[in-house]
Amino acid sequence: MALSIADLPKEELFGQGHAGCGGCGAAVAGRQAMKALGSRTIITIPASCMATMGGSNLKTTWQIPFYHTLFEIAPAVSSGIRAALDAQGIEDVNVVSWAGDAGTADIGFQALTGAAERNEHMMHVCYDNEMYMNTGGQTGSQTPKFAITSNMANGKKVKKKNMLAIMEAHEIDYVASASIAYPLDLIAKFKKAAKKPGFSYMHILAPCHRGWQIPAEKTIELARLAVESGLFELYEVDEGKRTRTVEPTFIPVDNYLLPQGRFKDLTQEDIQDIQAGVNRHYGRGE
Amino acid sequence: MVKNLPVVPTAKAGSLVETPTGITWRIQHPEILENCNMCLDCTLFCPDGAIVQQAGELVLSLRLCKGCGICANECKENAIQMIPEYSGVKGVFR
Ligand SMILES: Cc1ncc(C[n+]2csc(CCOP(=O)(O)OP(=O)(O)O)c2C)c(N)n1
Ligand code: SF4
Repeated sequence: MALSIADLPKEELFGQGHAGCGGCGAAVAGRQAMKALGSRTIITIPASCMATMGGSNLKTTWQIPFYHTLFEIAPAVSSGIRAALDAQGIEDVNVVSWAGDAGTADIGFQALTGAAERNEHMMHVCYDNEMYMNTGGQTGSQTPKFAITSNMANGKKVKKKNMLAIMEAHEIDYVASASIAYPLDLIAKFKKAAKKPGFSYMHILAPCHRGWQIPAEKTIELARLAVESGLFELYEVDEGKRTRTVEPTFIPVDNYLLPQGRFKDLTQEDIQDIQAGVNRHYGRGE
Repeated sequence: MVKNLPVVPTAKAGSLVETPTGITWRIQHPEILENCNMCLDCTLFCPDGAIVQQAGELVLSLRLCKGCGICANECKENAIQMIPEYSGVKGVFR
C-alpha cells in the first residue's frame, strides 16, 4: 500500500514554535517521523540540538511525553520506560530514543549497543548532521572525511564510521537508513520499525545548514543530492533481509560536495578519493 | 482497561506554539501562488509546521514561519515565492 501525503495524520506532534534555527534538517526529521509514530509515543532525547529545540520544562513544542536525558543514556532510559510500561500492562506505546550523531555513535554508544544487545522493545533514531552542532560544530565519528569543522580547520583526516553496519551486526529486528528528502520512504520505515517486537535502529541524514555552510533553503536539496550521488544509500535490513528502497542516479559526487562550505578546500584528488569511496561502499552487505 | 500515559509535572504539551521562537528572525516570508497543485510536499519539508493542510487547503501560518525558504526551493511547480519582509524607505515589519 503506497502512502500518500494527503492521508497522513494532520496533528502536529512536534515542531510548531520549536527553538531551533530556521531551515533545520533535524526539525524536518522530527516532524516527518511523528507523522508515522503518532501520539502514543514516549521519546527520550540526550543533549543535542534536538533536545534544545524541544523547549524547556517551562514551554515545549512536543505534544507527547519528551524526556531530556543525560548525554550517554537515552537508550537506557528508554529501556527503563518500556519496563515500566510493561509492568503497568500498557502495550500500545512506541518507546523511542532519539539522538544526534554524537549521542548515537560516540558519547551515547555504550547505552545504544547495550539496549540493542538486549533486543529491547524500542527504537533508536540517529538524526545525523555529521557534526556536534549544539556545541558549535565539532568533528565526530560521523563527520565525513575532509569536512572542515569548528575544531578541524584543515578538514577531518579519517573516514566516517559506518553506524548502519555496526547496528546491523547486532542482529536486531530492523535497521534502516532514511533521508528527510524522501519523506514517504522515511515514514514507511518508521511504521515498520514501530511494529517490531524488538529493537530497531533508524539513521536519518538530516543536514544542518550552519555546520555544512549552505544556504538554509538548500537543506532538503543537499539531503537529496547525498542520496542521488550514492554517498548515502537508502535501504533497510528487515529481520536480516536487506532491500534498497530508493535507486539513485549516481550523479558525480562533486555536485553534492562543492555547494557546501565545509568542503571548500577539496582538491581534485580528494574528490576522486570520495568518488572511489562510493564505488567501494555502495551496496555493502548486499 | 485503557490506561493513559503517565503524567510528569512539566511544560504544558505544545505550549511553544503560543510563543513561537524565531518570528523576529524572519527576513522573508513565503507566498503561495495560484499554480499550486496541492501536492503537499511543502507540508512535510517545512521544519516549523508553518504550512499545513487543513480542510483540503494549504494554510500558511506566518506566526510559525522563520522564513528559511525551503518550501520555495522545493516546490516543483514554483508555486511559492519568497517576499522580503522589509520594503519601502523605512521598511515595514509585519
Ligand atoms: C557528557 C556530556 N559531554 C558533553 C556535553 C556537551 N554537549 C552538549 S550537546 C553536544 C553535541 C551534540 O552533538 P550531536 O549528538 O551530534 O547532536 P547535534 O547537536 O549535532 O544535533 C555536546 C558535546 C554534554 N552535555 N554532556
Ligand atoms: S545548529 Fe543545525 S542542527 Fe542545530 S538547530 Fe541549527 S540547523 Fe538545526
